[in-house]
Amino acid sequence: MSSHAAPGHIDHHHDATTSTGIPNKKLFMWTFLASDCMFFGALISMHVIYRIHPPAGSPDPKSIFSIELTSFSTFILLMSSLLMALAVNSIQKGKIRSTRNNLLGTIFFGLIFLACQVYEFEHFVHDRNLTLSNSLFGSTFYTLTGTHGCHVAIGVVWLVLMYIRTFKPENADGSRTPWFIMSIVHLLVFTVAIVLGVHVIVELGHEVQKANFGVGAFLKAYALPSIGFLVALAGLYGLGRRSGPVDFNESHAIDVESMGIYWHFVDIVWIIIFPVVYLLEYI
Amino acid sequence: MEAIVKSNFIGKDAVARTERPAIFTRPTAKTGLVSWLTTVDHKKVGLLYGISSLFFFLVGGAEALLIRLQLAVPNNTLLSAQVYNELFTMHATTMIFLAVMPLSAAFFNYIMPLQIGARDVAFPRLNGFAFWVFLAGAIILNVGWFVRSGAPDIGWFGYAPLTSKAYSNTFTADMSTDLWIMGLQILGVSSVIGSLNFIVTIINMRAPGMTMMRLPVFVWMTLITAFLIVLSFPAITIALIALMMDRSFGANFFEVSNGGLPILWQHLFWVFGHPEVYILILPAMGIISEILPTFSRKPLFGYPIIVFSGAVIGLLGFGVWSHHMFTTGMGAVATAAFSLATMAIAVPTGVKIFNWIGTLWGGQLQMRTPMMFALGFVWMFMMGGFSGIMHSAAPADAQQQDSYFVVAHFHYVLIGGSIFALLAGIHYWFPLIFGRKVSEVWGKLSFWVIFVGFNVTFFPMHFLGLNGMPRRTFTYDGNMGWNSANLIATIGAMILGVGMAVYFAVMVYTYFKGQKIGRDPWNGRTLEWSIPNPPPEYNFAVLPTVHARDAFWYEKHHQDEIAQEKAAQAQAEQAHGGVHMPSQSWFPIMTAMAMLAGSLFFTNHNFLGAICAGVAVLAFIYLWAWEGPGGYHLHLDKDGNIIDEKSGSSQGASH
Amino acid sequence: MSASTAEPASGSHDSSHGQSKFHVFVQVAMLLAVITGVEIVIIYLPLPYLVVFVTLALLSLVKFMFVIFIFMHLKWDKFFCTVMFFIGLVLASGTVLALHALFAAKDSKPVGPAYESVQLDFRDASSRSVAA
Repeated sequence: MSSHAAPGHIDHHHDATTSTGIPNKKLFMWTFLASDCMFFGALISMHVIYRIHPPAGSPDPKSIFSIELTSFSTFILLMSSLLMALAVNSIQKGKIRSTRNNLLGTIFFGLIFLACQVYEFEHFVHDRNLTLSNSLFGSTFYTLTGTHGCHVAIGVVWLVLMYIRTFKPENADGSRTPWFIMSIVHLLVFTVAIVLGVHVIVELGHEVQKANFGVGAFLKAYALPSIGFLVALAGLYGLGRRSGPVDFNESHAIDVESMGIYWHFVDIVWIIIFPVVYLLEYI
Repeated sequence: MEAIVKSNFIGKDAVARTERPAIFTRPTAKTGLVSWLTTVDHKKVGLLYGISSLFFFLVGGAEALLIRLQLAVPNNTLLSAQVYNELFTMHATTMIFLAVMPLSAAFFNYIMPLQIGARDVAFPRLNGFAFWVFLAGAIILNVGWFVRSGAPDIGWFGYAPLTSKAYSNTFTADMSTDLWIMGLQILGVSSVIGSLNFIVTIINMRAPGMTMMRLPVFVWMTLITAFLIVLSFPAITIALIALMMDRSFGANFFEVSNGGLPILWQHLFWVFGHPEVYILILPAMGIISEILPTFSRKPLFGYPIIVFSGAVIGLLGFGVWSHHMFTTGMGAVATAAFSLATMAIAVPTGVKIFNWIGTLWGGQLQMRTPMMFALGFVWMFMMGGFSGIMHSAAPADAQQQDSYFVVAHFHYVLIGGSIFALLAGIHYWFPLIFGRKVSEVWGKLSFWVIFVGFNVTFFPMHFLGLNGMPRRTFTYDGNMGWNSANLIATIGAMILGVGMAVYFAVMVYTYFKGQKIGRDPWNGRTLEWSIPNPPPEYNFAVLPTVHARDAFWYEKHHQDEIAQEKAAQAQAEQAHGGVHMPSQSWFPIMTAMAMLAGSLFFTNHNFLGAICAGVAVLAFIYLWAWEGPGGYHLHLDKDGNIIDEKSGSSQGASH
Repeated sequence: MSASTAEPASGSHDSSHGQSKFHVFVQVAMLLAVITGVEIVIIYLPLPYLVVFVTLALLSLVKFMFVIFIFMHLKWDKFFCTVMFFIGLVLASGTVLALHALFAAKDSKPVGPAYESVQLDFRDASSRSVAA
């Protein structure tokens, strides 16, 4: 937009600089998703085909899956999708703080989904003896759901970067600490928080299953990562409280929207995968 | 609709500021090595694709000549079976992925934005990135020649279970198949990213008045090809991932003893592979649709039908893949269905041929070199199409499958079709790109030698195939009745090689010493001929307004109207700050090189190295996003020369 | 730029339109959660396979459409975005169905030691002793 376009007059449904009125980034993302449909179509086909003809000695999915866990993570992903839509809605109205909160919510729920998946994979490998290589079912299951999980992870990385971007000060070159350094610090703190957080949550998930679980014992055994996680969270809280005018407004809504379209697509792929891979095994 | 394509530019030029980290100073070199490494100019990217593809075309040609030398006489011992397998694998892989596709991409990049009246593509840095990733893929595929593993030897189609770890040579880590997998994945990334860019460009960045039905046919074919690429590559991506999981992580996708189904590889490969052949031919058809009208001095006959047929070919191309698998025992219903679909796809193809003939009919034919190649295309592609239709009858195909009849068929459509059209395109657009004209005498000579050599090589193969000679065998016995045909084919290949050598020599000579020529030497019909040759960096001094199909033809015949329009346009563009240009960047090439490193580490099963390189890729992408789109403005004087902002003097726009 | 030519009506239309969208998103999310719940419950009900299968397919389709048209905004965007996505979706669906049909056909049933069915034994009668 030219420098004299006032915020509030941006039409988020029409971009006059393009032949169709669709912003370039949005058209790019929709075309990419058309491609990704073929990608997941081929992947899902592979799984389905091998389920039509299971070899002898194939493990029974019903004895491996935990529908409760997977249903829970399905709801979680759904909620993250809602929060993503709300984030786009907020930035289109120029509400930065609301956008940040919704982005954080999306990240949080996305990470819960990933943690559930990590836990699920570890549980299947260690307790249900289902690995990538010891059966065909394992090969197709892990490849399909793992690829979807990678798409979620890429989305989370993108969301984190977008969240950090909302803090770029308006007068970026006049600030005391260069914005470039601040953004790297923010990214590192976030990375530590995520890695330690997911680790602690997943380990907690494993330990809770055991008969001799005790909160005190758990905290003692996982003291270092837990404390690290809490410190990183405190760092994120501190970094998130920065105020002052930022170079992030309605004109950036297209970037958040493009990311949102990707995130929703990852959700709709799961809307297909959940019944096809899990639910259909039970009927 | 607004008459001017305004920029998304926010008004702040990307000038290096003192507090900004030096890493974000945009490179500004306009000449020299750095200008090429950091380019975002679609014309330079097109030239990079062109040079690379022509180099690999020669590599693929050398591989072919070695194959023909081995097969010249029965029981030949020139090449071992192992080397022979590597040669036919790499000949096909090189020609398809490293020669024809990038040469088409060269034209997409250079010509398409000019034909739609744009200054560049929608995402200039991404465009450069797509090229450097292509180069990375080309390196990965060819690394094998220099290491102990050897080059990939599993055929360009890599059928499972031949590609399983069990068949890799048992000396330490035979990585040839892993290199093939990784190379193709990387090339897939390049093709898909490039195609996404082209789709957005064609749909969203057309000059005012350029409706979809006024687009040159070449642009339509670019668009359809781009759709084919983004929709077909995912299938091979998945197949390659499954194969990689099998080889590197012990998965069981194609492991028969654990229930794997190798036939699934064939299906997924050909779900990609069939649209791939339309990816190879549609751009060629687009080039021909530009050349025939120009040299018949007539508009293209049946434009809407040609466009529609192209789209139908693209669509139906997704429904015929199992015609490559007629002999795999799919069952009568499946075989019949694919047979019918394959016959159906001949219809739009035939329609195009009739329309091209209709274009020629009654025209004032000018038999220049591009026209010769174009006429050669129409005839040779038709012959390839006839043998293709013969394949579509499944019972007949039962005899032809895996024989030299198939080799004859696809070389007729690929050389007689794609290559002839691309060679025509080089001749046709040479004056635009380099400002020099290729000598007619030498051009026609190269055409005739190529034409004769090509037919002498591949026509006998129809008979070889029907007489039972199988494909992909490194030698044959002397008492099969195949001896003379093979010898003739080899002689033909040598003649073809000479023809190509003449062609290349002529091009190189013309580049350096050819006769310089002014604008629009062919009296062209489309917008690329309306600008100086070679084109200035900004393409159009004033963005055109399009009034009709064959936009430049309209301009030439309505000069007063156009002159007034351009004056008004120039004023409006000046009022908006001048001509907006994208800034160059280091990050496309840096990201691509990190991807190259990561791929090679991964193939070597050095996972730590791969992860480190992966982090580098993420870091470069982060910096790429961080540096932002940038951009700067140019101001032009009335002759189209760039006004130097500081000194106020004008600099020549071209060269 | 758009300040001079954008219809003010679209601006105000946008904001009033935007106000209600928050509620639309939350309501759709609740609906999707309910549908998901139904999907999970229905697999445990003693209904015929076909009924459950078709219901699951339809419910998934409904969820899919709600997400793309509401969350992903296709309902309010230019129609070409919908066209673009549906090209990929329709092609992918067709390919999945075709592959499924190919592999479900009788001729595609795999045989061999890895499968429970026919164990082909090509040895002649005299050398067949104990089953492998």
